[in-house]
Amino acid sequence: MTNMDCDHLVDYLNGTLSADEIQLFEQHLKTCTECQEIIEATGELPYLADPIEPPADMKARILSNVFEEKPEQDNPPAALDPAMSPIPLHRKKSKPNIWKPLIAAVFLASLLGNAYAFLQLSDQDDAPETAIESIELQPNEAFAGTATAAMIEEEGSLNLVVQADQLAELDASQVYQVWLIKDDQPIPAGAFSPNPNGEGASYYQLDADSTEWDTIAITLEPQAGNELPEGEIVLSAGI
Amino acid sequence: MEKSTDTSLYLRISDQDKEALEQLYDRYEKILFSFLYKMLEDRDLAEEALQEVFIKIWRGKGVYDESKGKFTSWLFRMAQNTAIDLIRKRKKPTVPIEEAAQTASNDAPVDVQVEWQEKQDQIQTAVQHLSAEQQKMIDLFYFKGHTHETIADMCDIPLGTVKSRIRLALKKLKTSLHGMQERGAYDD
Repeated sequence: MTNMDCDHLVDYLNGTLSADEIQLFEQHLKTCTECQEIIEATGELPYLADPIEPPADMKARILSNVFEEKPEQDNPPAALDPAMSPIPLHRKKSKPNIWKPLIAAVFLASLLGNAYAFLQLSDQDDAPETAIESIELQPNEAFAGTATAAMIEEEGSLNLVVQADQLAELDASQVYQVWLIKDDQPIPAGAFSPNPNGEGASYYQLDADSTEWDTIAITLEPQAGNELPEGEIVLSAGI
Repeated sequence: MEKSTDTSLYLRISDQDKEALEQLYDRYEKILFSFLYKMLEDRDLAEEALQEVFIKIWRGKGVYDESKGKFTSWLFRMAQNTAIDLIRKRKKPTVPIEEAAQTASNDAPVDVQVEWQEKQDQIQTAVQHLSAEQQKMIDLFYFKGHTHETIADMCDIPLGTVKSRIRLALKKLKTSLHGMQERGAYDD
């Protein structure tokens, strides 16, 4: 017990040693049976806990957060702004409605701009490897925000990621809703609410057989979860 | 198929094998969650701590090798340290709450439940061999994450002797645990 290294055992268990001290103590540990045995005995203490049933959906939450963590990012996921989280949506079959004239008008107005953006994009070689297609969305006349959409391939599945900024604040129930459109038939493809900095993002996993779209649009919806657009189009682009 | 050892799972995790991490998660979710809940007395905090533990493992913060003893000792120590960090960061008084804690359900694998029960019996008996003061000190030190000052106050002992008394309590725990394990070592 006079050994100064053994003296560090309690601090080691307590997590109060510096990185250097931990290294030194672990060196000591290799040769000190008594400290080893005390640590092993301490390692049995958690079994004193009475079994508690974990929440059923905890595993999905934790694993997705663990795998999402970028090594260079030091913020724990809890620090992320919840207002920026994508709102999950279920895809359902939709029927055509008022969508057609709306999209036609906006699409026409922005067609030239899109064509130009596309040409520029195709000249860029420094796009991220995983993004196989990236598009600037064009705002309608009255809208100040901007958005970029990208198709990202990750582990064989195709994802639509939309990032927007300079967004106006919304009422509590409103959301920005992303739509993918083919032959005038829109399907919801992610939604977001802006954070206090006016930024928003959504992430939507596409079905394997659904790569053929002609238009992407963002509308301002009175509430989340609409299967067909009710609000006006604020941003759009041809694909 | 043969069950992977913890160490082999850990090595695969070092190579960023997601499936291995999931297996490790499944294996220890319940004991870790229950342990963290015992420490933090709050389900949300317990989940936060558990997530932090798996982020540390996934990112390779803190490295395990067999010279550090049993994998579970290492894993539990990391969980315990993470919970202590949370306790100290929040400075939230840990008032014991009689939260409706659901008891063990039967959907956990039977061998896991049996092993837990056996270990719990053992460690409980070992703890009962300690004096009341030693039991209290282990609780304050290990589960509540109190500082030496608080422990000195709460146990009414001089601050200068807290560390050596904790060590003594843990040493006694080790001795009685060993005695029992030797007696029970013929079960195989």
